[in-house]
Amino acid sequence: MITFLQHALLRWAALLVPDRERAEWLAEWRSELWYAGQARGTARATAFCLGAYQDAFWLRRNASRRPIREIVNLNSPARCLGFLMVLAAASLVVGYQIPNPPPIPARPSGDLFLGIVILAFVVLLPISSSVSLGDYHANRHMPSRSTRLRRWVFLALKIALILLMTYAPMRYVAYAMNADPHSNSAGLIIQLLVWGMPFALRWSLADQRQRCPVCLRMLANPVRVGEPAGYFLEWNCTELMCLRGHGMLYVPECHTSWFDTPRWFYMESY
Amino acid sequence: MPGQAKLSHTAAMILHAIGAGCVYGLSVMEMTGLPSGTVYPALRRLERDGLIRSQWERQSIADAEQRPARKYYKLTRSGQTTLEASQKRYPLLAKLIGASKGERP
Repeated sequence: MITFLQHALLRWAALLVPDRERAEWLAEWRSELWYAGQARGTARATAFCLGAYQDAFWLRRNASRRPIREIVNLNSPARCLGFLMVLAAASLVVGYQIPNPPPIPARPSGDLFLGIVILAFVVLLPISSSVSLGDYHANRHMPSRSTRLRRWVFLALKIALILLMTYAPMRYVAYAMNADPHSNSAGLIIQLLVWGMPFALRWSLADQRQRCPVCLRMLANPVRVGEPAGYFLEWNCTELMCLRGHGMLYVPECHTSWFDTPRWFYMESY
Repeated sequence: MPGQAKLSHTAAMILHAIGAGCVYGLSVMEMTGLPSGTVYPALRRLERDGLIRSQWERQSIADAEQRPARKYYKLTRSGQTTLEASQKRYPLLAKLIGASKGERP
């Protein structure tokens, strides 16, 4: 019998498989899983499912040359938030399937979560990435306060949804640690969270920097400007533009004391 | 032999297992001891290179036995040639697969 977790693992892996091969791929894995469950038991059959991800990645890598940003098109802010909401909702659904941890001995999973968040925000994120969102000069072309507020709300929502995605792993950690204090799987998930969360937060900041501060759409048409030899005399950066004409972003190729973060220019302000 | 596929040790082991009669992924895993994440991508690669071909079992047979239909893998002619060449390259593989086959109930 295929359990809910095994079914979910295969369904998620199937999302990586190209559309035209997905149905047959899923049929083969479900069939093999049924036989694996009969021959090896539920736990080993679940481990068997994990191989589906390598298989799906192989098919994806060999079947299509399209970059992942094209496949998961996150250009518009609504799509980006929608995508994160789907992942967060999946985490909530899976989290609710995990049974409640036994009441005794209670372990402070909330404290652990808070510790991981603080570690990610305060220690790992600043040492792995610049936390600056860039340089947005105030001038007469600057958008209204509500537009600027919308940008911060968008960033806050992204971070909140990323934190919500940790619901299922944290619930599993709480369950596993109460069931078996020496659980290897709980330790592994904690390590994944500790290292994965700074990457997720780093992505949210990098994504924010690459969006127009007015319409929040992804910037496009990157063009290299200048050359390293003329760094003291002219720009040496990559220029990106908002396709709706709100402005341009200059991302320095080398970080210097006078040009160390991406610099945004509202259109017609220079 | 010119144009003949050169196989890694793992791919050769899987090809040997199929040649030895393991016709679906799970039995290849059992015979070689390799995990599912290695065996299934390798099967795709071998099929893409034309060394094996896959075929679904007839649904009516599976239904009669009240089990899901399976996808079977078979060596192609080119796969047979490559298998023979790989036996020269990895002479211990045949013994390894033979021993595993002998251990099976």
